[in-house]
Amino acid sequence: MNSKRSRWVFIILALAVGIGIGLAYGWIIDPVDFFDLTPDTLRADYKADYVLMTAEAYQVEQDPALAARRLAIFGTKSPYAIAADGLAYARATGFSDSDITLMQELVTALQAWSGIQ
Amino acid sequence: MRGFPWWRLGVLLALLVGLGLGLVYSWMISPLRVFDAEPKTLRADFKDQYRSVIAAAYAATGNLPRAQARLSLLGDSDSVEALNAQAQRMLANDQSFEQADKAAALAAALDEGNQDRPVSSSTVEIADNTENVVTATPPPPDVPIDLTETPQTIETHTIVNESTPRPTHTPTPVPGKPFKLTGQETVCDANLPDGLLQVVVLNSNRRQIAGVEIVITWDGGKEQFFTGLKPELGNGYADYTMTPDITYSVQLARGSDIALGITAPTCQSSNGESFLGGIKLTFQQP
Repeated sequence: MNSKRSRWVFIILALAVGIGIGLAYGWIIDPVDFFDLTPDTLRADYKADYVLMTAEAYQVEQDPALAARRLAIFGTKSPYAIAADGLAYARATGFSDSDITLMQELVTALQAWSGIQ
Repeated sequence: MRGFPWWRLGVLLALLVGLGLGLVYSWMISPLRVFDAEPKTLRADFKDQYRSVIAAAYAATGNLPRAQARLSLLGDSDSVEALNAQAQRMLANDQSFEQADKAAALAAALDEGNQDRPVSSSTVEIADNTENVVTATPPPPDVPIDLTETPQTIETHTIVNESTPRPTHTPTPVPGKPFKLTGQETVCDANLPDGLLQVVVLNSNRRQIAGVEIVITWDGGKEQFFTGLKPELGNGYADYTMTPDITYSVQLARGSDIALGITAPTCQSSNGESFLGGIKLTFQQP
């Protein structure tokens, strides 16, 4: 009886070990290759650079609605919050003063624009 | 058979089943959540949006190196082609001409920048792992060259690809050179529509440019049309159907020579019948 029970223990242990190896392989050794991603998955510095690009364009276009549409691809937050996050990152990582000024102007414009909407 | 350790086979089977379950869970049911992604992994429509914002930023700042660095993040094999194709898609989808024009303008600037890069037989070209070519200018003749020394790779380029492009000096935008009318020929082809005016717009590198606005005027009228709407005939191709006995003037909206006195010619077919021919104009940046 004891012998039968210990065999079942081995089988269950083998199952658990197999699951563990499978998870380790699928999550660590060879995780799924991703493509066709959405912009909200971008790394913070790419997001900040996207905000900077929007700010550079806004500097000339002076169209907060267009800037908001450009930032809306990040989806989950308001354009103002996205721009503010980008500005915070830029300040924390030492973007140039001129770039920070541009981003600040965009944040201010989007804040005012959000209030009008 | 009685002595065969079936339970060991059970253990092996359990291990394999567990492995399969683990892989199904980690690859399909709950794959690792993606964050810290790079722009090159974006879906095609988001890449278009990204490219469009790069073009808008370039139109505002005129900072070509920064635009190039940003475009390299998208992993396009040929950024110029990608921008031209996008400009065509934007026009075809009735998106703002202004935005399409910015994409086409950035493509033209990149193309021109590539052509303006000095090339000489003594130039050392170093291909990096991103398939871009970095050009290293040789030292002046009065500096002794150590022929045994291996040319060193330029690390700056690698850094640009691995991190966000850093702020750089913003040069003043320079307008493109006006286009020259380099070709005007009569086309007598009975297979073409009557009175077809064909326009081809090339940059200085003889590459066709999409999204260029063409203005055609006549006594009491004016219309605009664009290159790139018939990509099967070329990115820089556009056409217009002329009315018989009307004289037109044609020029590019962004600045060019004016083709004056354009009128549909009368042609003779091989069997002696006359038909209305066409005109082909070629504009090129000097």
